[in-house]
Order: sequence, then structure tokens, then C-alpha cells
Amino acid sequence: MNAKQVHKFVLSYLEATQCQILEKSPNHVIVKLSPEADRHLTNRPYYWSFVDRTGAEPETMTFSWQFATAEGEEDSAQTAQPQMGGTSASAYGIVAGGAAQQPPPLFPQAGPRILREDVYFGSGRLAQIFDSVREGGRCITLFEEPPRGRLDPFSSNPYTAWLGVNFKVGYECDMKREELYGWGISLATGNIDERFFEKLRERRLTAKLPSNVHLLRNGLSLRKGMTQLEHALERRIKTADFGWAVEADERRMDEMKRIEAYYEPMISRAATDEQAEALRTRFRQREAEIDWQYRPRVTLSVMNCGIFHLPGID
Amino acid sequence: MHPGSSPGPEPIPHAFPPASEPQAAETSAASVPPQPQPQPQAPARKIHPLVDLHVDRAPLEELERRLERNGPWDDWGLYQMHWEAEEATRVTDFHELQCMRLLPNLTPLPHQTETALRVLHVMRGRAILADEVGLGKTIEAGLVLKEYLVRGLVKRVLILVPASLVLQWVRELNSKFGIPATAQKKEYHWNNDIVVASMDTAKREPHRSSLLDAEYDMLIIDEAHKLKNKRTGNYQFVNDLRKKYCLLLTATPVQNDLNELYNLITLLKPGQLGGEGDFASNYVADRRIAKNEDKLQEALGQVMIRNRRTDGGVEFTKRFVTNVPLRLSPEEMALYEAVTKYVREHAKAERGDLASMLSLVTLQREVCSSRDAVFLTLINLFKKTAEDSPLRARIWELVEFIKQIKANTKAEKTMELINRIQDKTIVFTEYRATQEYLIRFFKEHDLAAVPYRGGMNRGKKDWMMDLFKRRAQVMVATEAGGEGINLQFAHNIINFDLPWNPMRVEQRIGRVHRLGQTEDVQIYNLCTYGTIEEHIVHLLHEKINMFEMVIGELDEIVERMEREEPLERRLAQIMLEATDEAELRQRIDGLGDSLIRQMHEEKKP
Repeated sequence: MNAKQVHKFVLSYLEATQCQILEKSPNHVIVKLSPEADRHLTNRPYYWSFVDRTGAEPETMTFSWQFATAEGEEDSAQTAQPQMGGTSASAYGIVAGGAAQQPPPLFPQAGPRILREDVYFGSGRLAQIFDSVREGGRCITLFEEPPRGRLDPFSSNPYTAWLGVNFKVGYECDMKREELYGWGISLATGNIDERFFEKLRERRLTAKLPSNVHLLRNGLSLRKGMTQLEHALERRIKTADFGWAVEADERRMDEMKRIEAYYEPMISRAATDEQAEALRTRFRQREAEIDWQYRPRVTLSVMNCGIFHLPGID
Repeated sequence: MHPGSSPGPEPIPHAFPPASEPQAAETSAASVPPQPQPQPQAPARKIHPLVDLHVDRAPLEELERRLERNGPWDDWGLYQMHWEAEEATRVTDFHELQCMRLLPNLTPLPHQTETALRVLHVMRGRAILADEVGLGKTIEAGLVLKEYLVRGLVKRVLILVPASLVLQWVRELNSKFGIPATAQKKEYHWNNDIVVASMDTAKREPHRSSLLDAEYDMLIIDEAHKLKNKRTGNYQFVNDLRKKYCLLLTATPVQNDLNELYNLITLLKPGQLGGEGDFASNYVADRRIAKNEDKLQEALGQVMIRNRRTDGGVEFTKRFVTNVPLRLSPEEMALYEAVTKYVREHAKAERGDLASMLSLVTLQREVCSSRDAVFLTLINLFKKTAEDSPLRARIWELVEFIKQIKANTKAEKTMELINRIQDKTIVFTEYRATQEYLIRFFKEHDLAAVPYRGGMNRGKKDWMMDLFKRRAQVMVATEAGGEGINLQFAHNIINFDLPWNPMRVEQRIGRVHRLGQTEDVQIYNLCTYGTIEEHIVHLLHEKINMFEMVIGELDEIVERMEREEPLERRLAQIMLEATDEAELRQRIDGLGDSLIRQMHEEKKP
């Protein structure tokens, strides 16, 4: 993610979580967090449990986030600073007439304290927003809005329920690689669409059931749909190249041989049974470590999923 | 949305029942029969003869629960952003260094990136990093750690370092790598994912047991040459720790002693050099001499990386060394001669007792530094001497000589130099008393100077460095080694007096002449004629030319020599035993020659 993408992502997040944006430019944003975002980002569990228990009006935190890249840092540091002082003050209505002649105040007056941070790909703050998004964007039910205009008010459009699942597949040994799959299965017919998520992003979706729409009967239970989708993905993964796993296993065997050649003669030469046992224990520990490190494995995990009602009988 | 339109290369067989099959009468997915309890995690199954498949469908179970209660539903925007976040952080490739895109503020040097890649791919995450001082082993270790963290292969990390380096490690990992490391202070800190602790703490109960019960995805040990003896508690402890990836950092060239090297490698990869017997018969001719050198180097290359400054790729600015000769004032010279006489007489009396011989030589060296330094030592000596001892009178005579001295020739010369330099300058001295005197002296001449010494706590050290950077033109330092004093913003050094150990001289220069220094470095050595100082400067500068030498060569040689006897002690002995100047010069030259000879042997392939 470059600075521009980070900027766009963060703004989308702030909008999705109903945060109050006080000021923004291509390089920065000043934002008063919504209670939801504050809970996720400010690491104040005690404060929030206090608010929850007492019903007190929550006071959320305000941040100024800079998105400049390392190269552009110089100018933004110079330009963003005065901007921040000036306009954020105006946002709280504390700038009186003739403020221009006055030197800028040493400490920002009134209003909440604004914490200034750099937000870039790799920064802790962005990682936290990622985590918040992982937490907050897990399960969903949506309907596609019917095309406007050409609807016959007296007919009803059939809608099919799809189970859309975004999978993350990890290929792990002592190294790791990942793939994402945004697949969907029609709960009416069992049809599987491998570009489901991609196409979904082009549709207009709403949380409310549109009018003049009827939902088709499901042929599959949710769990069956999931199992079929999972098995289809499994078949796909099976056809992939497992050379990496073969290599990893060779490395594992190679390491195993090395420690065998080291420990076994020592064990057989051990003077006492206790010594031999101690060596065996260490040998087993080393074996377990090697297994832990090298044994190839694939993990298939559901990132998020939802029910999507889409027009048509598929 | 037809399955036929999917771009997938293979047709997906659809084993679904026809829609007309009497299924449970569901009109919408919202009334799917609820699954009250989440299903237990499906056991792993084979996806390839060698590979297990592990499935985690937790969000689906949550979807079922929410359908049952008809919500609440997440935001569509966040749902899509979840994908974007995963896509952005996805590990796309087994081999490419993924962490670099997350570290926009770090530009590692080519040899550091290359080292990290070799550790990750060739050495399989278990390696000895043995770069020469100043080439950035910590950066390399940080890169490897960050990469594993980013790939999700490492979560729990234990970093064991000398106590004095704990905070420095935590700071570097946090600031340079965005790695949330914690310094271990309280018992519960062990529960943090990434903990930096001192070896001494970790190996003690109750910490020891709890660490041995844990499993660490990664173990990093700094100053690992301390683990060379396998009979020690440290060695056993590290051997017993459960670890997946492991990095051992050392700047000391362990290959000088083959057994120690063998022990260190056994800690990392038992059997890498064969069993103990094989190793001895295959590689060892003598404790310090290897046979089958090529094979040994090849075997070592699989577990150890040693970058040297001479390898190139790392650009250092130049060093210019100027000797500043000066003559002591007659009063100072009188003191020097009186002390020398005293030292000679007593050296004969105390022959054999090396400790007191060394302290006698120290007296001589202190005279070359400042009267304050020698005064303090004399007073202490006076107090230690029995009240009825005739020595007391002798010592007092020396103190009388000190009283005659009104000015410090060296300090005046230093002032003159600094005025000429007109830039940030670091003045190094061996003696605390001299340091205090100099600060006072500079202040009297309206020159702002800050002190720096080993005994200061971390906060004060940082503060002094900051003051020097922003306010003061001069820093007067007694300590050059130890942790984290990086003064690349300055490039002038005045050696007010010189340590007798070339390594310590190099450490001084290394504070300034290191990666990140953009200017050539100027080094001034103050050298008083007719004193032992003249001989030391002659040895270090003219004889072995250490100031302009690349450091890596020297540390190996000095390390090797010191195995027999510390260099300082050898020098002291020569000083005391030589009967006249000519003999002194001759024996010092001899010492220099043997250093040079070893250096040439070292260079031979």
C-alpha cells in the first residue's frame, strides 16, 4: 500500500465507523473517533468498561494522522503543521477576529487534545485499523438493489441466496505463502462462482429487502453449501504444485538425519542409563523442533462470509 | 453469475442435490436451521501425501449464530476492507523479503539485506551472525525477525542479551522495525509475545523454569560468544530452551578456537560439523589450527555469516590522523621525572606483583594526562600506606611537585585545536579527574562542554548526547565502549591521552567513524615528548598504523594475542623492565612487529 492507498483506506474506515472528520487534505486527516472506532483503536478497555457500567457520556479521542511517505515527509511536516493549528482551531469556533496578527498559541486551547501520528503501511496504527476491520467486517447479509426504471410494478423478481465466503489459504513450512479466494455458492442450485467476491464489489447492495422481490427456496442448507464450497476449493488446491512441500520435507529429513547422526552414537556410547536417557530426551526435543519448523501444512481459513440475495435463478 | 463463466482452469464437479429435492422447507437463508454450538474444529486431513490440511471456519459458525438471531450484521464497507487488508498484508511469495514494504523508514545496506535473505532461505532460520563490529548485526537480526513476524511464522520471541543492552534492543526493535518488544522487568512480562531480557535474569529461578516450559518461535542471543563453553549453566540453559528459529550474534571471531566454535554450532544445529569425534578427526589439527580448511569453511558457511568491512559494499569515509606533539612545561616535566623515578624504584621492590606494577605504570600515564588525575591516585596511595612508612614522605614529595604546576600544557593545546576546528569535537580521556578538570577549564574559557561517562544512567547519557548535538561544541568522554553512543553528527576526535589497548582506541573512533558518517573523520593524538606516551603513539600510529587500518583485522589479532596476556600488561612490563630509552624503543618495536606478522598471516587465504 502506498501513501495514497493508505489514505483512501483509512478514510473509508473512518466513514464506515461513523467517525467525525474535522479536517482533511491529501496528506492528512484530523478525526474525532466514533465510540466504535475508539473502542478498537485506543486501547482503553478500562475507560470503556467504566462508560458501559455507568452510562457516562463517552469522550472519544481525536487524532491527526499524517499520510506522507518517507520522501515527502519534509514538506508535509512543514505544511501540515500550520494547517492543523489554524483550521482545527476554527473547527471549534475559537478563532476570534484579528487572529491573523496574533502569534499562534503555544498550546492549543480549548477543544480536545489532538494526537499527531504518522500512518503508513507498516505503522502500528494501520495494523490496528486492519485488525479492527478484520473484527468488524466478518458476517453480513445483503440484497442487490433491483435495476431502477424498467421494473414492472406488478411482477415480482426472483432472488437467489448465495453463500459468499472469502478464504485465506496458507502454504506453510519453514517458509510461507498465502492466497485469497473469494468464492460463492448458490444455495438454490449449488452452482459455484469463483469470481463471486470480485463481481459482488460491482453490484449495488443494500441491507433492506427491496420491494417487488421474492426469494427462492434454498436447495442447500448453509452448512452443506459451506462443505461443498470448501471441498471444491480443496480440489483446486490439490491440483496446485506441491513442489514446495516436497522440498520442505527433504529439508526436514535432511535435518533429521543430521541430528540422528549426532545423537545416536552418543546415546549408544553413554556410560550410564541416566545419561542415555538424558540424551534421548534432548534428541526427542530436537526432533520435535525440526518437525515444528519444517513439516509442510496447508491452512484454509474463512476470513469472512455472508448471505447475498441476488436477482436471477442461478 | 454462471459457473460456466468462472475463469478457473478446471471444471468444478457439482455434487449438489437438485433444487426440487425435498429439503427442509426454507424460504430464505435467514431461517437456516441454527447450529446452537460451534462445531468442534475439524481434524486435519491429508491434502497431499506429505501435507495436512487444517481448516478454520469460525466466521461461518458466527454467521449461523447471527442468522439464528437475525443479526446484527456488519458493514458492507468493512466487509470489503477486510479483504483489502488481507490482500495488502498477504505473503505473496515464499522467497521475496516481505518486510521491506512495511519498513519505509529503514534502508538497510546491501550486505544486511543479503544476510537476512541467506538466513531465511539458505540457513533455514538458524544462524550465527558474526559480522565485524559496526556492520549492523542488530539490523540483520531485526530484518529476519520482522520477516518471520510478517509471514506469521513467528509469534513468541525471546531475546537474551547482556543486561546493559536490554533497553537498547527494545528501543531499536520498536523504533526501527515497529516490533513491539518489551523489556522484562516483572514476572508477568514473560507472557508478552516479544520479550527482551538479560541472560543472567533468564537463567535464574523462578524465571528459568517458566522459560523452559514455554515454546519460542524464535530465540535471539546477543554476545553469543559467552556460550562457548558447554559445561556452563548458560550453555545448558540455552540448549534446553524450546525454539524453532534461532539467531546467535557475536562480533568476536569464534573460529580462533575450534572447540568453542564447535560448541556454539552444536547449540544451533547439532551434528552440523559431525559428532564430537568426527569433528576432532576431520577438522582439528590443534586447538587453534584447523585442517581441511576448505571443507570446514564450507560447513561453517551453512550456519555462519561474517561480513567484513574489507568485503566492500560498505562505504566508509576516510580517517585523517594528526599527531600533535608538545613539550611539557618544566614544572610538569619535573613531576613526570619524579614519578618515573618513584615508579622504577618501586617496580624493583614489587617485582612479581603484577597488579601493583600496573598501578605504578598508571601513575606515569596519569602525569601525561593531568595533574588532577595523578593527584587523586597519589592521595589514595598515601591513604593506603601505613602511617609510619617512609613511603609517605616520598609520596608527599611528589604532591609537592604537583603544587608547582600552574598550567596544563595539553589542555591549552586542546583549546587551541578546538578553536581551530570550529566544529563539534569529542575529547577522549582515560581519567575521570582529567575529564572534570577539562570541563572546568573549557568553561573558564567560555566553551560549552558536556561530560559523558560509563557510570551515567541511560537517561542521562541520552540527555548528554542530545545536549552535545544541539548546544555544546565539545563533549568530554571517558568511555567509548558499551552501549549506544553514536555520534555520527561529529567528525573530530581529540585523544587527550591514549588507552594502551588498540581495541579501545578503535572503539573511541568507532563512535564517530561508523555507518552513517558522511564526512571524513579527523583524529588528533596529543603526544608529549620524552614520556611513555611518545612510545605508545609511536607503537599505535607509526608502527602498526592502527588508526588507518580496517578494524576487522585488528580485533582478531588483538583477541588472539590477549589469549596469552593482555596487551596492556605486556606494555607495562616492557616499560618497567627497560633500563633505557633505546631498549624501550627496541622492545616496543618488537611487540609491534609481532602484531604485524600476525596480521599478515591472517591475510593469507
